[in-house]
Formats: sequence, C-alpha cells, structure tokens
Amino acid sequence: MVRGAREVLMRVRPKFDSRICAAALLLVLAGCGGAKVARRVDVHPLPPDTLTMRMHEPGEYGGRFVVGATASPKHFNPIMASERPTNDVCNLLYTSLTDVDYGTLEDTPLFAKSWEWSADACTLTFHLRRGACFSDGHPMSSTDVQFSFDVAMDDSLGTSMSEGLSITDPRTGERARFAYSAPDSYTFRVVTVRPYAMLLSATSTVRILPRHVLERVWRAGGFASAYGVDTPPESLVTSGPWVLREFRADEKVVLGPNPWWFGVDARGRRLPYLDELVFVLAKDQDVAALKFQAGELDGLDNVRPEDYAAYAAGQAKGRYTLYDGGPSFNTSFLWFNLNPAPEGSANHRAGEPMVGAVKYAWFSQRDFRRAVSKAIDREALIRGPFRGEGVKNWSTMSPGNKRWYDPAITGLDFDPEGAKALLAGLGWKDTNGDGFLEDRDGRTIAFTMHTNSDNTMRKEMLTLVRDDLAKVGLRVDAAPLEFNTLTSHMRGDLDYDAILLGQGSAVPAEPGMGQNTWRSSGLLHYWHIRQEKPATPEEARVDALMDRIVYTTDEAARKAAWRELMGIVNDQCWIVWLPTQIIRLPVRSRFGNVQPSPMPHRILWNVDRIFVKPGRG
Amino acid sequence: MRTFVLRRLLEAVPVLFGVSALTFLLLQLAPGNFLDAFLENPSVSQAQLAQMSRNFGLDRPWYVQYALYVKNVVLHLDFGQSFSYHQPVFTVLRRGMGNTLLLALAGACVTWGLALPFGLLAAARRGTWVDRTLSLGSFALLSLPEVLSGLLLLLFAWRTGWFPIGGMHDLDHDRMAFVPRVLDTLHHLVLPALVVGLVPLASRMRQMRASVLDVLRLDWVTTARAKGLPERDVLVRHVLPNALNPLITLFGFTLGSLLSGSFVAETVFAWPGLGSLTLEAIQRQDQYLVMGAVLMASALLVAGNLVADLLLALADPRVRHD
Repeated sequence: MVRGAREVLMRVRPKFDSRICAAALLLVLAGCGGAKVARRVDVHPLPPDTLTMRMHEPGEYGGRFVVGATASPKHFNPIMASERPTNDVCNLLYTSLTDVDYGTLEDTPLFAKSWEWSADACTLTFHLRRGACFSDGHPMSSTDVQFSFDVAMDDSLGTSMSEGLSITDPRTGERARFAYSAPDSYTFRVVTVRPYAMLLSATSTVRILPRHVLERVWRAGGFASAYGVDTPPESLVTSGPWVLREFRADEKVVLGPNPWWFGVDARGRRLPYLDELVFVLAKDQDVAALKFQAGELDGLDNVRPEDYAAYAAGQAKGRYTLYDGGPSFNTSFLWFNLNPAPEGSANHRAGEPMVGAVKYAWFSQRDFRRAVSKAIDREALIRGPFRGEGVKNWSTMSPGNKRWYDPAITGLDFDPEGAKALLAGLGWKDTNGDGFLEDRDGRTIAFTMHTNSDNTMRKEMLTLVRDDLAKVGLRVDAAPLEFNTLTSHMRGDLDYDAILLGQGSAVPAEPGMGQNTWRSSGLLHYWHIRQEKPATPEEARVDALMDRIVYTTDEAARKAAWRELMGIVNDQCWIVWLPTQIIRLPVRSRFGNVQPSPMPHRILWNVDRIFVKPGRG
Repeated sequence: MRTFVLRRLLEAVPVLFGVSALTFLLLQLAPGNFLDAFLENPSVSQAQLAQMSRNFGLDRPWYVQYALYVKNVVLHLDFGQSFSYHQPVFTVLRRGMGNTLLLALAGACVTWGLALPFGLLAAARRGTWVDRTLSLGSFALLSLPEVLSGLLLLLFAWRTGWFPIGGMHDLDHDRMAFVPRVLDTLHHLVLPALVVGLVPLASRMRQMRASVLDVLRLDWVTTARAKGLPERDVLVRHVLPNALNPLITLFGFTLGSLLSGSFVAETVFAWPGLGSLTLEAIQRQDQYLVMGAVLMASALLVAGNLVADLLLALADPRVRHD
C-alpha cells in the first residue's frame, strides 16, 4: 500500500486535475491507515492432535494475498456447491476427513489423523483428531462428520456429491449408498458393499459442517439456502483453516485465519500465516492481467501460453516469479461420431448411423482413425497454438499427473507417410486429381469438424489439424460453434461429424474418475454415448478393465488395468490425442512457499502455508 | 392526472406479461440448459443430472414450467429461485440494483452534461469548424465499441496509475472514514461512467442541436435579436428552455434503458451491478434469474416512460394531460 502511494504521488503531474489528485491522495492515506493490522497473537491453545503441514520453509505471520476470481461465490454452503468460484472458497472454509497433496497427489490426513482398511477392503475406519474445534470454538467430533454425510446424501437436496457416495451393487445392479457410522466420538466408519478404490477420495468430498449450527436448519428443510450470500460473515461457522471476514457480492471475498485451526508448521506454530486472503472479482482475463500488472493482484491462476514470454521478461520489474506448474491435467483431443440414431430421432431411423452410411463406413474403419492420428504434426501444434509450452499427451492422465502418468501409454504420433499408406490400404485414391482422396465409390473424403468458438487455442488447433489432414488427402471443414450449440450436438441430437474438444480434470485426478468417459454406457463416451451394451468387443473389454480400476484397492493392479485400457483406446484411436499445455503462473516474489499445481485452485491449494518473506512486506 | 397514471400502470400489466412470455420462449429456444455446464465435468453422472433436472423442474415441458412460473408470480408474488444461488431471484438481484443505478446515473450525467452545452454550441455555430469538430468527435466515440473503449481506458489507468483497474471499492474501503469512502467510490466510478456516458453522447448531441436549430428558426427569436438582445441571452434565456421539450421526453426514455445500458461496462470494469449478474445468468441459463432481471428492466422502462410523460406535462402546459 505504501509503495502504491508513492507511485501514485510520483505519477500525478501538477497539470492534472487537482481534485482527482486530492481524492487519490486521500484514498491512499486512508488506505494506509486502515491496512495496518496488529501483529497476530495465537490466543487459543493448540489441540493435542495437531497436523504438521508439508512445506518448503516455515514462515512468519502477517500479510495479505490477493487473487482474482472469474465469478463471485454463489453461497458458502459446501454441500450445495457445484461450480468453481463457490468451491474455491468453500474448500478453504471447510475441512474434510482427508485431502490430496497437490504436489505429490498422495492422500494426506486432515480431520482424520489416520485411517485403515478392513481385510476385505469394504470398510474404511477413520481415527479423528482430538481437540479440533470449529471456528466458534465448539469441539469437532464424529457426530459432525455423520451430520455432514447425512446432509450430503439427502436426496431432496440433489447435491452434486451424493452420486459419488454410492457404488453399483454387483448383486442387484442398483446403486448402493455407502453405509456409515460413528462408533465413538473420535472414530468414523464407512462401509461399502464391495471393495471400492476411490472410497477414500469420495469420503473426502464431504466437507465437515457444524452440526450444532445447521442441524436445526436442515431438519426444518432450509438447508439448500443456508449459508447463502446474505449470511453475516461473522456468523459463518467453519471447520477449515479460514473464516469468512468480509463478503461483497460481485466484488470481493475476504478470508481470515481460523483461530482454532489444527494445522501447524514444523515449529508448531498455528497456520495459516497470512492475515488475509482476498478474492477480487475480475471476470475478464485481460482485466485480471492488468490488475496483476498494476499490483492490485498478487498472483494469477490462469495465463495464456502466448503471454508466457511477456511475463517471463517482466519478472524483475514487476517483482514476481513465473512459476512452472508442469503439464496441465486438462487434455485436448478429437473424435469421430460413431453414434447410431436414438429412438425418435428426427431425420434418421433408430439405429442408423447419425453421420449417414457413407461417412460411417469411413469413420468406423480403425485404419482411418489411425491415419488421422498419424497425420497430425503434434510438434507443430506445440510450436503454434501452444507457443512451445506444451507436451504430447496420450491419455486423460497427463504427464503432469505425478501419481498416475504412465510413460508406457503412447499413441500413434506424426507419420504422414504411414498415414497415407493406411489410407491407400483402405482403397482410397485421389481419382480426380484435386488433391483429396476418393473412396472406392468415388466420393471425396470430406467431413466437418467443430470446436467451441470461445476457445482461441482450440480454434487454432483446429486450423492446423485441418491443414495436416489436407496434406494426407482428407478434406476437413473447420467449423467452430458456440459452446452450448456444440454440447447439444454432442449429447443431444448427435448431429455432427467430428469434434475437437478437451476435458477438465476430475478431482481426484485418477483413472477411476473416468467412468463416464470410458464406460460404453457413459454420457461422455464421446464417439458412441450411452450404449445399452458394449457395441464392440474392445469396448466390452474396456468396461471390464474399468471395473477392475474402480473395484480393486490394490494400486499396482489398478495401474496395470489402466495401462491395458488406454492401450485398447489408443490402438482403436476412438480418441485422437492432441498435446496438452504447460502451466506457468506469475506470483509476487515476496511470498514464500508458493508451489503452483496444475489442478485448481492452482495457487491456493497450499495457501495456508504461503507467507510474506521477512523484510519484503 | 391520477386516472392517467392509474391507466398507465394498468396498461403495464399486459406489457410485463408479454415480456415474460417472450423471454421464457427465447430462453427455451436457446440451445442447452443450466445443466450443460456440468457436462465437461467427468465426475457428474447421468443419474445426478437427472436428479438435478427434477429438482429444478427442468424435466417438465416448457409450457408447464411457464404456467407454474406465472401461477407462482400471480398467487404468491414468488419469482422463483436462482439455480446457482439457491436463493429467491430478487434477493440476488437486489444487491446489484443500487450499483447499477449509480453507474447509470453517473453515465447519464456524463451524457447530458456534455450533450446539452455541446449541442447548443454546435447549433449556435452551425456549419463552422466548431460544429464539424463536435460532430466528428461524438461520432468517433459512438463508433468505438464499449468493450474497446473500456479496455483502452483500463490500459490508460494502468499506464498512468491514476485510476484503479476496475472494481467499485478499494480493498480497505470498509476501514475508511465516510468522506474517503465516498471519494473512493467516485474514484472507481469515473472510468466506467465515461464508457457508459460517451456512447449515447453523439445522438443526444445531434438531437439537442436539431432542437435548438428548430427554435432558432422561429419568429420570436428574430424579434429578440431585433430588440438588440445579446446573442448569449437569446440562446440561454429564450432558445434553451424552448429547445428542451423534446429532450425531456428523451430523458424519460433513457431512464428505461438505464439498467441495460451498462452491461458491457460492468463486465469490463468488474462493476458489481445487475448487468454482469444478468449476463452471467444468461450464459449459465439460470432461467428464473434471467426472467427476474428482464422483468425488472421492463418495469423500469414502463416507469421511465411514465416519468417522461409527467415531466413533459410539468415542463410544457400545452401537453398537460387531464
């Protein structure tokens, strides 16, 4: 703030309107006076069971960290949260049983200090931390965990997590809820009908809520709108490292440290270090970048690869560091429409290929899809749309995923001659000399490929892919569409030839979360969605492997199944993989313990450990 | 007078009904719905989507949804819940309302504060370089898209450091005393108000100019001049009051567009108003929130027109209704 004042004063020229000068001066002075916060003293005793957080170096108390947010949180109710801005804030306000360390992707304790599996791998027992308290000082116990599970599984609320708290019972084929109980105040137990690999991560999606505050509201049927945006900040009782200090809708959210939090550093000092964590609304990415440049934000959580060079060059002057977050977990790929027309389709008889018999005859050839994969020059894509800041990627577990990336999973890379040979093998020749191939019946191989028009990088990729495919004799019409139109084609009327799109990462970022994509019955089984039974023997095998990934708790067996599954997918080329982006993020150099991760929230996952380096405040 | 106002208010009911029906229809025609945002998230299953669809009533045909909506509005004054906020629509809209009005009024001050003197000046100096420069300048501003002028002003703010980069309050706003608080808000208000205000400037200025020219042609102006009144007095004391009548009507109309005129500026400047809220609601297809915002804007338009008529009646005895 003081530095800001000096800058303003130095820059204001005498000629400039004196009233605005005066206003600016007053503001800055007022700001300086207000920003001073008394040195924090940890008043409450630490609980017997503290949690020592992993960090590079122990830090000091004090300071404020300001980040941009693309939208305001819609409420502060973690069970009802279903979108990024709300989740980002709720994840900091409320703790869960366990967490994942975004650096290593290993499971780590939170409110549960340890956990153990039963011999049959159907029961998971959590041992809870003694002496942990909510932000109002009320003790936290297993009854609060039980209450949070009750609410999360309440059907009438239709929470986005309830589905994740059940698995398919192999005997009945129905969804079976996890059973759970609290045998004593510091033990919580979850039981499933069969071993379930993601049980630990599923239980960690339930954020722990104060039963002593919210049970009455829930019983009265008012839970869905509890902890809404009009809740007075001081009345919000939280279980996580932070409390809500201030909230101005569509402007800012200010969090402060929870004085009862059980997390400590290696010296036994209570976390978080920062006095304030502020989310400032900056809807537009360009505006956020300007705010960062002007010093109004301390870090950016989204930067376009084309801007990396400019950020790298400005580090010393802007007093920030451009951190390397590694390859993104978000993937890009394209696929061809192999969907049959559903019942009641407008222009097609049920079961007929949606793309028509001719195109289906092309797209359904494995060699055609393999040729497409071989025709794409991924290094050129990395040089072009990714500005050199990309890596090749062949599965949903990108090279950035420290726990699940498997270098043995690869696909068919750039080999234009190989692509031409495969196409020639299908009997396709350029019979009329226009540079494009014709099939055996003399029809030019031409199709349309869509992507969403609001994503510049995908549009650039689409253009390069079109050019690459033209070089092996395939004519592609590149047609970006508005996102909602695209998705309605994708899963609604199924009326398209091919789509270039991407997938975000699930949390946790592990193969078992990909059921909706890889299972033949899945809604995101892009090329042929919602199959009643597997359409091909390969897809039947993929379904079986998915079962093994989901219902085995042995990690080595799961990794082997994943390798085989992706081997089949990449051999069939149902999905043609494109490169994935490397994440680089600028954060002011005065902050310590900054360790951006490719997973959202990229800079805030360890913000309880971020601190202002001494003498740099 | 009272019956006139009453009649106008009654007439507003079918108008608002029509607006609501049309909005609902347009929302239905737009591809996709609120739940599409979950599609890129691989961990949301079909069963969950179906459950959410039931909870939001999106599984029913659109005319049933609309009928229920109208029923709730008429019987219970219940305008529905926002899907993303889990709150009644007007609880959500209320907070943006004041901020939007503030920005819109500041914008209107910019527009009218510049349009009236410049329009008068352009008419008085008709055909000279002053007139031509003012026309050219105002049309240049008109042709500049709001997004661009907004971003340019932000760039200006960043380069000079004179203004904050968007937002409405400093981070320490709540810790300030009253006067610095007001100044802080004004400081944040300057640039977005310029963006909002400069767009309609050209047309208002042209209207002012034309209106003044009309009056200047009248006989009594010649008389005034013949009496030997200084040109300045002729313009300010005689021409200006008479030239204002058509502009008062126009001012009333602009009241109606206050809520919708600042959508772009609000988004670019992260101004916490209704515009950005509505835009986000439209993008997310949060349908009842969109309906609420549109109804509110329409109500304001109706009210604006009414105010315009009343203002005109006050200003000009010839058109007084009764």
